[in-house]
Amino acid sequence: MHSESPIIDIEQLVRRYGRTDAVAGLNLQVQPGRCYGFFGRNGAGKTTTIKCLLNLLRPTAGAVRMFGLDPARHEVAVKSRIAYVPDAVAFYPWMSVRDTLDYFAGFRARWNAQTERALLDQFRLDVRQKTSHLSKGQRTQLALITAICPEPELLVLDEPTSGLDPIVRREFIQTVIGAYQDADPERRTVFVSTHLISEFEGLIDQFTIIEGGRDVLTMEADAARERYQKIHARFAQEPGAIDLAGAHVLRQQGRELEILVNGNSRDVMDRLKARSPLTLTSEALSLEEIFVATLSPREVVA
Amino acid sequence: MRFQLSFRSGKPVYLQLVDQVKAAAASGALAAGEPLPSIRPLAEELRVNRNTVAKAYAELENQGVIQTFAGKGCFVSANNSPYNKAVRVELLTERMDDAVVQAHHLQVGRAEFLRVAEHRFDAFQHQRDRTTR
Repeated sequence: MHSESPIIDIEQLVRRYGRTDAVAGLNLQVQPGRCYGFFGRNGAGKTTTIKCLLNLLRPTAGAVRMFGLDPARHEVAVKSRIAYVPDAVAFYPWMSVRDTLDYFAGFRARWNAQTERALLDQFRLDVRQKTSHLSKGQRTQLALITAICPEPELLVLDEPTSGLDPIVRREFIQTVIGAYQDADPERRTVFVSTHLISEFEGLIDQFTIIEGGRDVLTMEADAARERYQKIHARFAQEPGAIDLAGAHVLRQQGRELEILVNGNSRDVMDRLKARSPLTLTSEALSLEEIFVATLSPREVVA
Repeated sequence: MRFQLSFRSGKPVYLQLVDQVKAAAASGALAAGEPLPSIRPLAEELRVNRNTVAKAYAELENQGVIQTFAGKGCFVSANNSPYNKAVRVELLTERMDDAVVQAHHLQVGRAEFLRVAEHRFDAFQHQRDRTTR
């Protein structure tokens, strides 16, 4: 389907710590220009995977290719095309915001000063401020600015919003990704790992859910919302047993029925319609609910 | 124009944008030659990925609803669909089927359904007359 080689190509990746496989046979491919979500609980193997992408860890088995290259053999070529923002960012405390930006720019072939100025303005960051005086949110903002000004081909964000004020975090992730993909969007790819999925609802094109070091679900976000639906039906009388083709019943209370469907919503709707319900509605699950439904369907709130 | 997106509808987000632009063009809320918002600000306002907006605009251009001029942006086309009539009718038929199924489900009969359809034609016409006056 795609003629270009994927930006990230992970094949049967295994990474062992002692006797534990933190990553245990992961497969994942990210095509250029996408905003890709990497969703998993704490300890699912997200950060270990990212460290393998960046050659901070060597895979125990399997293969990782970045831009078609082996990140261990072509470390500089690969790293010069990536920007990475870890979950906890640290700067030299004695440097001001200005010094820090100049310091990071010094490592890079390109630096978009216009983007830098626009984002500093938008975030109201004072360039004379020492980094040790920045709040956690401001430090993340600064890290994001240093990540996108070099205009990398791949932006890797590891839990970018955890531990931040819920009102500001969503907005500034949106701002940063918008600024990053503003020019040359076919060559600007975002890979974001998070367990705070609701904040990325509209931003994610495609995602992989990782659990126990394995990919358990990879889908386009739109296709996932089409496939996972919650159906609510109300009948004139208690409907008794209905064959629902294996769909998961979330709640059955008297005349009301709530069902979770995975891909066969039309079939289930038809079966319900045959019973002439008074009302019949369906709504898509959010990505966060899809995440919960995939890992533990019992816990989807009816 | 204002867009209303829902992640709950189960309908791909880019298609929601496509349909809303088409509805606005059909009702006259968007007139031929009027510009659509540019991709980045609209994506930020709607809190969606720019790819989603770009995909919607590409689809609208494909369908002949809008035209893109490099460096200037996207504009609503004059009302000429690039499809021939048979194809256009077929596209419409799919939508009609959805409505017919829905009517059946809501126990709205044939006569009532046709009356509603007439009424909607009038409503759009009325809206168009008001905006072009």
